[in-house]
Amino acid sequence: MNDALKHSTDLNVQLRPWDSFMALYQREMARFMKVIFQTVFTPLINSVLYLMIFGVSLGKSITLDHPVSYLAFLIPGLMMMGVLNNAFQNSSSSIISGKFSGDLEDLKVVPLTSTMILWAMSIAGLTRGLMVGLVTLFVGEAFSYVVDGQLIAIAQPLWLLLFLVIGGLMFSMLGVVVAFFARTMDQLSAVSSFVLVPLIYLGGVFFSMNGLHPFWRTVSRFNPVLYLINGVRYGLLGIADVNIWTASVVSVVFLGVFYILGLRALKVGDYQRW
Amino acid sequence: MTSQNLAPIKIDALVKDYGSLRAVDNVSFEMKPGEIFGLLGPNGAGKTTLISTIMTLEEPTSGSVQVFGHDVTKEPQITKTLTGFVPQELIHHGYFDVEEIMNFHSGYFGLRKNKERIDWLLQKLSLYEHRKKKVKALSGGMKRRLLIAKALVHDPKVLLLDEPTAGGDIELREQLWTFVEELKSQGLSILLTTHYIEEAEQLCARVGILQKGKLRRVGPTRELVKELTKREIGIRLKQEPTSDPTHPMFLRRVGSELIFETPSTMGAGDLLDQLNLDLKQVADLNIREGSLEDALRRVLGDKVATGGAV
Repeated sequence: MNDALKHSTDLNVQLRPWDSFMALYQREMARFMKVIFQTVFTPLINSVLYLMIFGVSLGKSITLDHPVSYLAFLIPGLMMMGVLNNAFQNSSSSIISGKFSGDLEDLKVVPLTSTMILWAMSIAGLTRGLMVGLVTLFVGEAFSYVVDGQLIAIAQPLWLLLFLVIGGLMFSMLGVVVAFFARTMDQLSAVSSFVLVPLIYLGGVFFSMNGLHPFWRTVSRFNPVLYLINGVRYGLLGIADVNIWTASVVSVVFLGVFYILGLRALKVGDYQRW
Repeated sequence: MTSQNLAPIKIDALVKDYGSLRAVDNVSFEMKPGEIFGLLGPNGAGKTTLISTIMTLEEPTSGSVQVFGHDVTKEPQITKTLTGFVPQELIHHGYFDVEEIMNFHSGYFGLRKNKERIDWLLQKLSLYEHRKKKVKALSGGMKRRLLIAKALVHDPKVLLLDEPTAGGDIELREQLWTFVEELKSQGLSILLTTHYIEEAEQLCARVGILQKGKLRRVGPTRELVKELTKREIGIRLKQEPTSDPTHPMFLRRVGSELIFETPSTMGAGDLLDQLNLDLKQVADLNIREGSLEDALRRVLGDKVATGGAV
C-alpha cells in the first residue's frame, strides 16, 4: 500500500481554516451553478418583464423629481431586488435542502466554525446575487439604449459596489437565520412572503419616496431595504431619496445586526433532519 | 504524540437531559487505544445520544467528553479532526455525485487535494465505478458505504460507527467488517454501536451495555460473557437413566441427553465427578458456551426485573 494511504497514528492536528472555508464556499457555488438556469437566468425573465411593463409601457406616464427617465430609475431598484432575493434564496434553500436530505449535520461534525459557515454561505449568496444583479444591469442597459437612446454610465462605481455587497451579504445572512430557525417549510415561506417581499417592494424599487404621503414617507424610513436600494440608485445614477452617508451607516448597522443573528442561528439553530 | 498513548474517548460522569427526560445518566468509561469498543443496548438506551455528544451534535448537560485528551466542548475543531463519524441515518445529498461529495467533505477538513485517498477509499468500499453517480441514485447499501468513506476521508484516529450495518445485506456487512479489521490492525480505534450482537462479540475487545441512559456494565467481552452467562453441558449416557438426576444444576432432558447448567468456570470433568459418573459410562458430551447475547439478556433482564441501579 502507498504510504500516503496508511493510517497514521500521529495526533498532531493541523487545522487549515482557509481550505475548510473555501471547500464550503465552492460547495455552495457548485450547488447553484448546477441549476444555473433556475438560479440566475429565471430572474432575468422577471427583470425583462418588469422593464417592459413598468419601464417602457407605464413609464411614459410617470414623472419623477429626479432628472432621469422612469426606465433608468427602475434599473437600480431591479438590480438590488435581484441581489436581495437571490442572496436570501441561496443560503436559505441550501440549509433547508440540507435539512431534508440530512447533510446539514455534516457541517456540525467537521472542523468548520460558525463564523466560517456564515461567511462561506453569505459570500456564495452574494456571488449569486451579484451575478443576477449584473445580468439585470446588462438587460437594463439594452432597454435604455433602445428606449432612451443612450447607455447608462455608472455614476459612482464604488458606492454601487458597496451597496450591492452589503445588501447581498445582509440578505444571505438573513437567509441563514430564517432557515436555521424555521421548523417547517411553511415558516420559511411565511417569512419570505409576509416580510421580505413587502420590505423589498415598499423599499422604493418602483417609486421615489418623495412622491409618498408624509406619513408613509416616515414609515419607509424604518425599512432597511430603502437605504440599500437608494444606495444602489446613487451608485448607478447619482440620485437618491436619502442622504448617501445616512444610507451607508444604516446599511452597515443592519449588516452587523444580521451577522450577529446569523452566528447565533448557527450556534443554537437546528441542524437535524426534517 | 501518537494515538497509541492516550484514551481515544474518555467520558466522565456524562449527563444529557432533554427537558425532563434523562437520555444519558452519569455515564463514565474510556476506550483503550487501538481497540474496537462496542456500545450495546436496546433502542432508546442512549447510544446515539452519547455518540452525538462526542461529535458535538448534542451539548452535554453535565460531565465531560474527551477525544485523545481534548475536551469536545472546549476544542471542538481538534476533536472533530481526530474523529470520523458514520451516522445511523442515510444521507441523500440531492445535487452532487459521489466524487463531489467526497471532495467537499475532504475539503472541510482542509484537504482540498486528496484524490489519491478518495480513490483508494472508493475502491475499498466498491464505490469507485459509481463515483459519477448522483448520491440519490445509489442503493441503500452504497449510501451506507459512502457514509463510511466520508468518515475516513481525513484519516481520523478514532472512528465512531453508529449502526453502520443497519438494513445492510450480508455482503455489505462482511465487506465492512473486513475493512474495519484492516483499519484496526493499522492502529485505528473504533467505537461501534450495533444491533447485530454476534458481530459485536466477534469484533469488540470490550463492550459497554447501556440501558435507559445508564451504563449497566463495561468490560472485556469474553470476561463479561463468562461472568454473566452459564455453560450448558449435555451428557448422553451409554445406558439411559430411568429417572432424571436430582443434581441442582440439572436443567432439562432433551431426548436421551441430560442437560446441566453450570458456571462458566466449571469444567465437564468437575460435573462428572459431582455426578459420580465415570467417563466410560458417557456416550457423548456436548458443551455449549454462553454468548454475548445471553449476557446482554441477563443484564437487561435483571434490570427489568429488579428495577434497581447497577
